[in-house]
Amino acid sequence: MAVTSRSRLSQTQAAWILLAPFLLTYGLFLVYPFFQGLWISLHDWNLLAVAFNPDAKEYVGLRNYERVMWGRNIEWSLLAAPFWQGLGLAGLALAAGLHWAGRMSRFNAVALAVASVLLIVIPGFHPGEEGRWYDRRFWPTVGNTLVFVGLAVPGVTITALALAAALNRETRAMGALRTLFFLSQVLSVTVVTLIWQIMFSPRQGLIANVTDVLGGSPINWLTDPQFAMAAIVIATIWWSLGIAMILFLAGLQDISKDIYEAAALDNARGIKAFWYVTLPNLKRTVTLVVVLQIILHFQVFGQSHLMTQGGPNDTTQVLVRYIYQTGFRDSELGRASAMAVFLFLIMGAFSVIQFIVGREKS
Amino acid sequence: MNRAYYWLVFALSIPAFLWLVPTLWMVSLSFQPNEVLARTTSTTLFGLIPIPFTAENYAALFSFGQTPWWFLNSVIVSLGMTLGVLAVSTTAGYALARLDFPGKTAITIVCLIGLMVPEQAVFIPLYTMFADLGWHNSYHALILPRMAVPIGVFLMMQFFRAIPKDIEEAARLDGVGWLKIFWHVMLPLARPAMMTLAILTFLYAWNDYLWPLVSAQQREYFTITLGLASIQSNFAQSEGLGRVMASGVIASLPVVILFLIFQRYVVQAMTVGGSKG
Repeated sequence: MAVTSRSRLSQTQAAWILLAPFLLTYGLFLVYPFFQGLWISLHDWNLLAVAFNPDAKEYVGLRNYERVMWGRNIEWSLLAAPFWQGLGLAGLALAAGLHWAGRMSRFNAVALAVASVLLIVIPGFHPGEEGRWYDRRFWPTVGNTLVFVGLAVPGVTITALALAAALNRETRAMGALRTLFFLSQVLSVTVVTLIWQIMFSPRQGLIANVTDVLGGSPINWLTDPQFAMAAIVIATIWWSLGIAMILFLAGLQDISKDIYEAAALDNARGIKAFWYVTLPNLKRTVTLVVVLQIILHFQVFGQSHLMTQGGPNDTTQVLVRYIYQTGFRDSELGRASAMAVFLFLIMGAFSVIQFIVGREKS
Repeated sequence: MNRAYYWLVFALSIPAFLWLVPTLWMVSLSFQPNEVLARTTSTTLFGLIPIPFTAENYAALFSFGQTPWWFLNSVIVSLGMTLGVLAVSTTAGYALARLDFPGKTAITIVCLIGLMVPEQAVFIPLYTMFADLGWHNSYHALILPRMAVPIGVFLMMQFFRAIPKDIEEAARLDGVGWLKIFWHVMLPLARPAMMTLAILTFLYAWNDYLWPLVSAQQREYFTITLGLASIQSNFAQSEGLGRVMASGVIASLPVVILFLIFQRYVVQAMTVGGSKG
């Protein structure tokens, strides 16, 4: 580094030179496509027709959104989905009550209230007399995605938390066990689906082979509407346990040993200590892991696409697969983009939550 | 170490073994003859031990079929993407962390917003854009889109921020230019963070499925992940179960080896990648 004269580049010039490669790719391959996606969603845009003739698209305003999410004679009533709306009302009451009694912070109360209001409003829409949804598959697909998230997220979180609590010791044996539980995480989605397709096969599958020996009759996991979703959830839990477990282990390490010693003096050991000491101190990590998993699993595609092809009877059809099919099988890029914008809005909302929770930590 | 500890280890090794069984089964099936597997997969101990044994599936895989070619594609795409991401992330991360210039805050915020955009929200416009350019079915089509993801920039930015200022200031007093400080002083210090980012990117690239699925339609440009998806739908009839499983093992080998060697970095990379984007 033989330097004799002062550099001719000012700090600003150097900064822009260093930033240029990233900003160029960022602008070209993320910012531009993002706005282009909004633009496409406002058009009647057939993939093949536009590829052949760039003028073959037609501006239709918000019609794609209407055709995807709305219908004829859609009405709203409080009793359309009594279970979910009832749950929403209960949540609203709980938020008000707990906040009023001083048992819940304002932030949590507002979050619970917002979620409850959404639960009351959204399931309330339904087609009235002579009415129907324009796209009969969209909302059931969103529902399936939510069911998948609703099963996979608690499944992963609870298993990972239990394992992390048990494995939280710096010994060689525990390290080896952690490695075993983490290993499946590095496999690709196609390897995971390959393994589990055959695991679940009623004729060749390991599960069927074991039940056969035990004298049971094999289950058609992937083709039975009752079991297909469970099957892809099981494969997903097996696959994605690792990250959650590692994040929990990191969270556990932040809890000071003194608290446990103090708790031990009060006779809180083992499960009791876990319940009264570990869990309350791990609240933030749990929230972070849950939000992270929601973002991750809401984008599920490969498991459904490769293991069940969305079937049987659309019971495992999920949002990203529906976007993919609408765009690339049906060539309806406009409608597919409208759904992608819908997906982005949901993901964006959860990213904001994740950001806020992550900030609180540091 | 007391008795309770050994009981805990023993109790935990049962679920740990069950967790390993699906992977073990794939490896074991890949070493069994296809004729036997067509009849039953439950040979020795539910097929978990490869007896009767054969290595023919692997030999067949390398003598014909496209698996070696797909494997090579994956190596090229993953290494290309890793180098690309490292290049744009270290430079931009350093500029945003250590240099002062007008518009810095605005750019940081614009990049932060980019973390919220999932791949699935932009893959359709990316597809039409690359189609207009005639870029599909090429390596750069598989590599370029991921370079735009700002997660690496934030990772490097956080790392550079933590380096004490006086190292840089000493070099400045000697009259060294900013770009030289970046190249000769900061980059060597950033090796651990670059390692984490490299592994994060490599794993992502190797396992990515959705973008290769829409971009690479010609089988010559399939990555191994995509190729494996294309042969698993009709695995039993056309290729033989043992051979498909051998492809699965080959497809997993690099990431598993990477994981076993660099476990610490992989765990760190996935934690960072997981909690930030």
